[in-house]
Amino acid sequence: MATMIEENGPSIHESEVSSSSQARQKLEGLLNKNMRIRMTDGRTLVGLFLCTDRDCNVILGSAQEFLKSTDTFSQGEPRVLGLAMIPGHHVVSIEVEADSLDDTQGFGASH
Amino acid sequence: MVMKSSVEDNDTGWGLGIPEKMKNNANWVDITHEFKGSCKELNLGELLHDKLFGLFEAMSAIEMMDPKMDAGMIGNQVNRKVLNFEQAIKVGAIKVKDLSLPELIGIIDTCFCCLITWLEGHSLAQTVFTCLYVHNPDLIEEPALKAFALGMLKVCDIAREKVNKAAVFEEEDFQAMTYGFKMANNVTDLRVTGMLKDVEDELQKKVKVSSLDNFQSESLHFSEIERQCIFIHQQCLALFNRIKFTRLLLTALIAFTKKETSSVGEAQKLVAQAADLLSAIHSSIQHGIQSQNDTTKGDHPIMMGFEPLVNQRLLPPTFPRYAKIIKREDMVAYFSKLIERIKTVCDVINTTNLHGILDFFCEFSEQSPCVLSRSLLQTTFLIDNKKVFGTHLMQDMIKDALRYFVSPPVLSYKCCLFNNHQAKDYIDSFVTHCSRPFCSLIQIHGHNRARQRDKLGHILEEFATLQDEAEKVDAALHSLLMKLEPQRQHLACLGTWILYHNLRIMIQYLLSGFELELYSMHEYYYIYWYLSEFLYAWLMSTLSRADSSQMAEERILEEQLKGRSSKKTKKKKKVRPLSKEITMSQAYQNMCAGMYKTMVALDMDGKVRKPQFELDSEQVRYEHRFAPFNSVVTPPPVHYIQFKEMSDLKKYNPPPGSADLYLAASKHFQQAKLILENVPSPDPEVNRILKVAKPNIVVMKLLAGGHKKETKVLPEFDFSAHKYFPVVKII
Repeated sequence: MATMIEENGPSIHESEVSSSSQARQKLEGLLNKNMRIRMTDGRTLVGLFLCTDRDCNVILGSAQEFLKSTDTFSQGEPRVLGLAMIPGHHVVSIEVEADSLDDTQGFGASH
Repeated sequence: MVMKSSVEDNDTGWGLGIPEKMKNNANWVDITHEFKGSCKELNLGELLHDKLFGLFEAMSAIEMMDPKMDAGMIGNQVNRKVLNFEQAIKVGAIKVKDLSLPELIGIIDTCFCCLITWLEGHSLAQTVFTCLYVHNPDLIEEPALKAFALGMLKVCDIAREKVNKAAVFEEEDFQAMTYGFKMANNVTDLRVTGMLKDVEDELQKKVKVSSLDNFQSESLHFSEIERQCIFIHQQCLALFNRIKFTRLLLTALIAFTKKETSSVGEAQKLVAQAADLLSAIHSSIQHGIQSQNDTTKGDHPIMMGFEPLVNQRLLPPTFPRYAKIIKREDMVAYFSKLIERIKTVCDVINTTNLHGILDFFCEFSEQSPCVLSRSLLQTTFLIDNKKVFGTHLMQDMIKDALRYFVSPPVLSYKCCLFNNHQAKDYIDSFVTHCSRPFCSLIQIHGHNRARQRDKLGHILEEFATLQDEAEKVDAALHSLLMKLEPQRQHLACLGTWILYHNLRIMIQYLLSGFELELYSMHEYYYIYWYLSEFLYAWLMSTLSRADSSQMAEERILEEQLKGRSSKKTKKKKKVRPLSKEITMSQAYQNMCAGMYKTMVALDMDGKVRKPQFELDSEQVRYEHRFAPFNSVVTPPPVHYIQFKEMSDLKKYNPPPGSADLYLAASKHFQQAKLILENVPSPDPEVNRILKVAKPNIVVMKLLAGGHKKETKVLPEFDFSAHKYFPVVKII
């Protein structure tokens, strides 16, 4: 994480600007929305979407951890994690709360 | 405990393990594909984030799926069902009655190992509470195990209370969290020791019955039955010893919670008795059952009654610390060292003088003792933060220390100031003001070695304030005394005493940097310079001033005695109380001076590696090293420019070369050796310094003679003989 540089890195060609700025807009619309991410080991994290990058590394704030369904012990009780970063290659699925999507263009509704 | 995860399939309706309410309230929409696609449009290294969220915040995020940071990952990867105590009883994975002797022995030994691992700084959740039996001793039907589980909880509870009260721990030393577990608070200490005693008596009967004396076998070969009996006898004895050990340990800890000083002696006796059982416990370890799974794959050992992952979900979201439970073979050795330390702690009550107590704390801390023994020492010293050993007022201790150190007239029964109200007010308020900083100083010595250094740096500020007050009180008392008894004086008495402590703290601060390996080789020369030319020089003059102040006071007393009885008092040559300390300071000063000159000479020969100063300079480092001394008024801090001027070799004519300096260093080590060899009863510290001084004399002489002058191999500094002074090795 520490090696990342702040946004607006290298300049890009004119043609790409529109699509990438659109993508950026979409993602920005999701910021601070409640997000549910399932990881490769079956656990699910629920938290506020705070940050992402090209490799789809995601940082969730006030994250809670839920165990996979087969684990009966203390099931349902989430564990509070706080700030958590999920590496992109461990992200299986991403879901966002629908109510909060109303004011977001592009995601969910558009497909 | 190891069960296939498909035994119970009652997870219908749980979905992803998300509570029903969250499912109902939220309508989740899958955006995986678009999200990932959008991310790809971002530039390499670009972070998309909220204005309020930056790289700095991002750094504190824990990384999921990284075994070093993700505590939840460990619990998620084992292929077995993690059951709590009630669940384990229900499915019959754990016995609560009719446990065999080997099972009991194995469980107890594992518990002991957990206890030790906890005392070494791991969390209760990952150590003692991995034992399911202590989660709820009420469910245990086996009396021995129930009593033991309760005893264990009590030991933990009292230890925790002691450590919390003493407050000499940091997060690296001790985890006080109980995670909401009940520490057998519904049962009294007395009841638990009583239960343990009952079990013990019961076992003793069994031990006697199964004893070999009951067999009158003529032949040397035992029959099968007899062999079985011997085996059972040994196992009964093993269990008996373990229960008794637990009871003695618990009773000793209970004794420490009592307010009377006599209970400390009692505790000492009890731990000594416990220590006597240790060899028997050690030799019977093999009777206990072992963990059943294969631990070679890095898995936790799983014993019946233990589930290392039972509390995994209770752990905070910080980096998971893997609690490696110590081995049973090492358990007895740890206990015996712990008991030795506790015995040493009990000896503190035989020290009466404040300086003696301070030395005791310093010496004890030098062995880097565990947090429990450190805490016990603190709570024994100040009981409920009121009285020293529960009997003496701190103020009285300070007055005694003053009398012992400088014999100030104001505290002498023979002086008119002693009963003077104003003088009394002055001295009493000064002593009261001293009391808190001195208690803090003693408390600092209870912390671990690394933290001590930091705290010593800070307490210098408080001592600087005391120094100021001491000088004012001295002046006020002197002017009072001049009016009443013009032939006496009260100059710099209290000031000398505070200065002495100031210097001790400063010296310890600098020296501990060697022990903690904070200094680079190229820094040695100014650290040793500061010590030898400055701090030890000041310390020695302070000590000799105190000594002469003592002598002046004694002379006056003698004269008064002579005046009354004309009897000729036989002049006995008394050993000066401070002479040992003066001698030791001289030796230390010579060692430091020797090291300083060695380092300068080595530098001249190009044998000290220096960093490429880019962003800093030697001055920056120097100022950082001595920064805490800036709050001290006396002695005034030596700034870098002053140091450079004072240590400039060009002021000598001709300036000395490296050979001259090696020779001078050799003389300093020689001098230190001479001083130390004349110490009447040498303590281990004297011998340790000698072990450094002797080889260094030789090495310096060789270097002075040009030995290996051309070699560019850097010398080595071996601190194994002494923490503060290395043996210099030329390779």
